[in-house]
Amino acid sequence: MATLAGNAPLVTRRAQRRLGILLVIPVSLIMVFFFLLPLGNALVYSVVDFDGISATPPFVGLDNFREMFADDEVWHALGNNAVWIVIGTVAPIVIGLSIALLLWGVQRGSVLYRLCFFLPYVLPPVAIGIVWGWIYDPVQGVLNRALGALGLDALQRGWLGDPTWALYAVLVTAIWSYTGFAVVIFVSALRNVDVELVDASRIDGANSPSRLWYIILPQIMPVFLMVLTLTLVGGFSVFDIIFVMTGGGPADATNVIGTYSYNQAFQLSRISYGTTLALLITILSVPFAVGLNKLQRRLSLQGTGA
Amino acid sequence: MDAPKPLVLLALTSMVVSLAGCFAGGSAEQSSAPQVSTGPVEIRYLIAQPEDTADLNLIKEDIKQFEAQSNGVTVKLDVLPTENLRTILQTQLRSGSGPDVFAYDTGPGFAGALAKAGLVHDLTPAYDKFDWPVYDFAKERVTFDGKLVGVPSQVEEVGIFYNKDLFAEKGIGEPQNLGDLMSAAATLKEGGVIPFSVNDKDAWPGGHLLSMALSSEVGSDGMDKLISGETPWTDASVVKALQVWADLADQKLLPDSPTAISYDNGNALFYSGKAAMNPTGSWLAQDTERNAKFEVGFIPFPSSTSKGIFSGGLGGGTFVSANSQKLDAAEQFLDYQMSPERGRWSVEKLQAIPAYPVDTSGIKATPLFTQILDDTAKIAEGSGDFGYNIDVLTNDAFNNAMWKGVQGILSGQSTPEKVAEQLQKNFKKAS
Repeated sequence: MATLAGNAPLVTRRAQRRLGILLVIPVSLIMVFFFLLPLGNALVYSVVDFDGISATPPFVGLDNFREMFADDEVWHALGNNAVWIVIGTVAPIVIGLSIALLLWGVQRGSVLYRLCFFLPYVLPPVAIGIVWGWIYDPVQGVLNRALGALGLDALQRGWLGDPTWALYAVLVTAIWSYTGFAVVIFVSALRNVDVELVDASRIDGANSPSRLWYIILPQIMPVFLMVLTLTLVGGFSVFDIIFVMTGGGPADATNVIGTYSYNQAFQLSRISYGTTLALLITILSVPFAVGLNKLQRRLSLQGTGA
Repeated sequence: MDAPKPLVLLALTSMVVSLAGCFAGGSAEQSSAPQVSTGPVEIRYLIAQPEDTADLNLIKEDIKQFEAQSNGVTVKLDVLPTENLRTILQTQLRSGSGPDVFAYDTGPGFAGALAKAGLVHDLTPAYDKFDWPVYDFAKERVTFDGKLVGVPSQVEEVGIFYNKDLFAEKGIGEPQNLGDLMSAAATLKEGGVIPFSVNDKDAWPGGHLLSMALSSEVGSDGMDKLISGETPWTDASVVKALQVWADLADQKLLPDSPTAISYDNGNALFYSGKAAMNPTGSWLAQDTERNAKFEVGFIPFPSSTSKGIFSGGLGGGTFVSANSQKLDAAEQFLDYQMSPERGRWSVEKLQAIPAYPVDTSGIKATPLFTQILDDTAKIAEGSGDFGYNIDVLTNDAFNNAMWKGVQGILSGQSTPEKVAEQLQKNFKKAS
């Protein structure tokens, strides 16, 4: 296929190539320093036994990987990651989309609403974790006090210390924090939805779920997939909010791969094994991210979406 | 297919650079020639965040006192949250940008690991030069491979602080054995008081809970055998000590969900009078007296047959980085910390008991602190029977198993038998 560059004179092609290289350099440097170098480091660490101190750690080959697959706690943590991925992805998207649909037609005060919903997302996770830790406190916490005031004493518990509930308690905090992001993105996407199509479907007798499924969702699908990708991948790499609120406890009950990796690397000085666990997060999350990204691109090229 | 080549090259180059850079610059070998600083010099002193801001102000005051008499040596104080100290310190020391002097734990998993990697300065010649009169038992804790690598900072003991007023109000006497303690706890619970302010969200207090129950049950000889590996950690005595806390939890004599309560919040329960007993260490004596509006007593955790013994030992130590360029100034600072006047100041102001003899005559001390002073003097002299605070004598893997194990028991996820098995497994792994 003939291209503009192919037909251009040699001098112009050279100039274009130079410009291309010039434009690619900043991104390449970012890739090298923030992706390839750390990845290279991680790969090196994963085949030695580095304790964080020794300058000459011994080469151990694939021992760290073998240990990882035989480690019961890895599977337990992966199970918690799976819970986090499913609930932590579905809940913000469902709640966020519902709120966005409610805000769609709102004219007065829509900026205020969006600001209120978005605010938790811009708060530092550490601050959120600390504040929600106070809310969940078994003795002084607002939640238990509120339950007591409502006569629901039977529901009072040490939310973050109860192995059955702790992970879900942290998840609620994360959902609260992340939903605002989904709301703002969906509200923006909904602005590009063809309202005439929605009205036409209404005249044709389509009910609300049908209108959402057949008319609205297809138009916002790329944005929907973008939010899905971010929440899904975030579920694999979740660390900060769990670390702040429970540290992976009690007795590993809320451990995910991220907290387990940190615990091994920095609390037990097993940097190499911790790094191997971190690589597992990458290996698991990259296919999802790439797959969803490809789907999003295909839909965009097909002209579907907002 | 020309396009991917530069990317592949870029990736390969990055990997090679990574290989070269991973462990470079981390030479942990101590410089062969001691470096001596001359003239005005500033040393960097790294410590963990004290429990109370008032203590930090006192430490700053102490540094000013040193600077006033140091002939030009000044100290830049760095304070880090306790939970971050280990990671940051190790990274700094490896990169050669560590503090000149730092406060750190003395156990094999802490200072021992740094000593093994050659990251701490050998202070054996300094001990000879300055003739620091540190107690022998304390010196042992900072000796690795025959080298004295630190200066022990303070002597501590772990036991139970209790609300004397509340005990008197409920007609409860000082427990003489474990049965008495359980009865007292039941009486307190009936009276609407939380018997123990046990808190284990932070996990590390679990080590103290086991230490105090186990030390009382097996005595110092029994603890020696466990620490040395002569007695396995699956021994019935260990299971029994863990079972005590399982029973207290089962009988609802602890706060609801102790694994959801942080150390600070647990202490607050005691200070506020909502809880009658606080099982922790003597380092909290000063904070307790500052915050509690009632008379406080401090007793050992009882055994099944006696009043029990305190778990005692060394709280931590002060170390000098092997890569410090200001060794003489750093040693001068340590020498100041070992002076009799500074020791007396430490007792009076910080209620921290140095690991060397201090003349405490005439010191204004509360009855609680006087008792702790007397007890710790016995530890130092070797005249009393004291158990051990386990986590300062064992390594990371064992401590991790112990902390998580006790959390597991308190949250109903594990049993004393299973925890004992994990302790033994990790003890063997460490050996």
